[in-house]
Amino acid sequence: MVLTYFRRAYSSFAAHVFDIPPRLMVLLFLMILAVLPVTGLSSYYLRILISANILAIFAASWDLLVGRTGQISLGHSLFFGIGGYTTALLFKYFGLPIWITIPIAMLVGALISLLIGFPCLRVKGPYLALVTMAFPLILYNLVRWSPLIPIFGGEFGIRDLPAFFPELVVREQRIAIYYLTLLLLFASSVIIYKIANSKTGIVFVSILDDEVASKACGINVTRYKLTSLVISGLFASLAGCLQVHVLGVSNPPMFLLTMSFIPVILTFLGGIGTIYGPIVGAYIYLVLDKYVLTDLLQNSLESFGVVLPSEFDYAKLLIFALIVLILVIKWPRGIARFTTDKLENLEEARDLDERGPRIWKRYKKKEKN
Amino acid sequence: MHLLEIQNLTKRFGGLTAVDNISFHVDEGEMVGIIGPNGAGKTTLFNLLSGFLKPDSGQLRLRGENIVGLPPHKIVNKGIARTFQVVRPFRHLPVIANVMVALKSPRGAQKIEWLKTTERKAADMLEDVGLSELMLEPAENVGHGDLKRLEMAKALATEPDILLLDEPFGGLNPLETDFLTKSIMRMHLDEPSRATIIVEHKLYALMKIVRRVIVIHQGAKIAEGTPEEIAKNERVIEVYMGKGI
Repeated sequence: MVLTYFRRAYSSFAAHVFDIPPRLMVLLFLMILAVLPVTGLSSYYLRILISANILAIFAASWDLLVGRTGQISLGHSLFFGIGGYTTALLFKYFGLPIWITIPIAMLVGALISLLIGFPCLRVKGPYLALVTMAFPLILYNLVRWSPLIPIFGGEFGIRDLPAFFPELVVREQRIAIYYLTLLLLFASSVIIYKIANSKTGIVFVSILDDEVASKACGINVTRYKLTSLVISGLFASLAGCLQVHVLGVSNPPMFLLTMSFIPVILTFLGGIGTIYGPIVGAYIYLVLDKYVLTDLLQNSLESFGVVLPSEFDYAKLLIFALIVLILVIKWPRGIARFTTDKLENLEEARDLDERGPRIWKRYKKKEKN
Repeated sequence: MHLLEIQNLTKRFGGLTAVDNISFHVDEGEMVGIIGPNGAGKTTLFNLLSGFLKPDSGQLRLRGENIVGLPPHKIVNKGIARTFQVVRPFRHLPVIANVMVALKSPRGAQKIEWLKTTERKAADMLEDVGLSELMLEPAENVGHGDLKRLEMAKALATEPDILLLDEPFGGLNPLETDFLTKSIMRMHLDEPSRATIIVEHKLYALMKIVRRVIVIHQGAKIAEGTPEEIAKNERVIEVYMGKGI
């Protein structure tokens, strides 16, 4: 009796997870990520993985706006920074605990995205990219502005912010933070993925494909664009909040253009418009940048007695850019999408009918009954 | 009161008057054809009717209500749906999702029958135009003739009171033209109160469907009448064929 129940639960789980390549990939990914801290990874690498988790949330939110709705934003660091600064200011002036400041900061991020959405979304394509680029630049200079140093702390930002789990010791705390960020990444990416594959998500893609045609279908295009922007801003500011509380400081570089380009790089590495792509991209990016180039290359060279000059840091950036270039040229549709395509091909051989996103599949099932 | 009343509609692009003082009306259940040589202003007229362009002067009344200046999506939700001369599918989406976009609009959502899912309704719309087999195919893999029918399903999904078809037969072979003619006729029979306005070049196909034809030349209306009257109209013959010797 109980066994039957479990067997049924398992087969339902298998049908919902194993048969859909993206989900299978997510499951494997999560399993690997969940056991990583237990394998005795050093705190330094844990820290890299924590920032990978945070950047993955940030990039996934960008992908919803750009990959699915087609509204190119090159100023996503605006939401990142606003999230960070809001939670920092709330702590500084009101002394509120983290668990209250983060939701408030997310809402502020969503509100700001609504505000900038009204003027921004009137322009299209490359012009939109340029307009969105301007906003974080304005804020970058605003938070560094000398009359406002008492509030924003100028160049140094707002320091000594509370960390997550202050009662734990260093390593345990870091593991706890790692699991927390992983959990938040999982939750927010599931939400974003669900939205992207819902009926509203279909309308988002229709705007990406042909705005005029979606207007002719009776869609209020502006409203859907704003919806997409607000959801995106909400999660981008969540990423900003996490970053601030992990590092303990909220500083002007959060608004920098390089910060805006990070989700772009991650998304193109993983596969634009997939939602899970940027998450994969985040880990590839950080492992490449921090592990392969810094540790593996540098340490192995040093073990051969080659002492690298300090200028290597700049060369590293160049090598990194070259690797990204090769990856993007080799897999223009993204590494994650390439993998799922492979998996789907395998599946296609097995059963041609059971392909595609769930929404069509569900329909097919109804047809059969 | 007429369903749609167009009074002295004028649209200028710089020095060119694309639509010049056109007035006509459409009643419930009518099939009206709009013909005219290339550049006569037929598509501009459609863009004015569907809100993609704003007229310089003149009035558009849907059931006595002025709809000039409304954005396209509001006009669709008031009950005027259109197709495009050049097909505009949502290429990344499967065929069924293309229709679901239209069903997500306020009017489309409202018109879904009770206890029916959006997917089911979309599938029914596709069945009406004969695209059931291609339902799950991404629109980018679908041929031109099928995309024309998809355009029609998209426009019909909102169950409009007035359907504007912009060259529905453009680029179709005789077989497809025949099929589409039949499905337009069937749609008309299914929904007898729906008015249809068709802009077309293929006079042969058009004249079989419509009861009333409006001829436009250089932006102005030059004739109106039944297909037989139009075929005999000397001014129309002159415009299409040139002056007799």
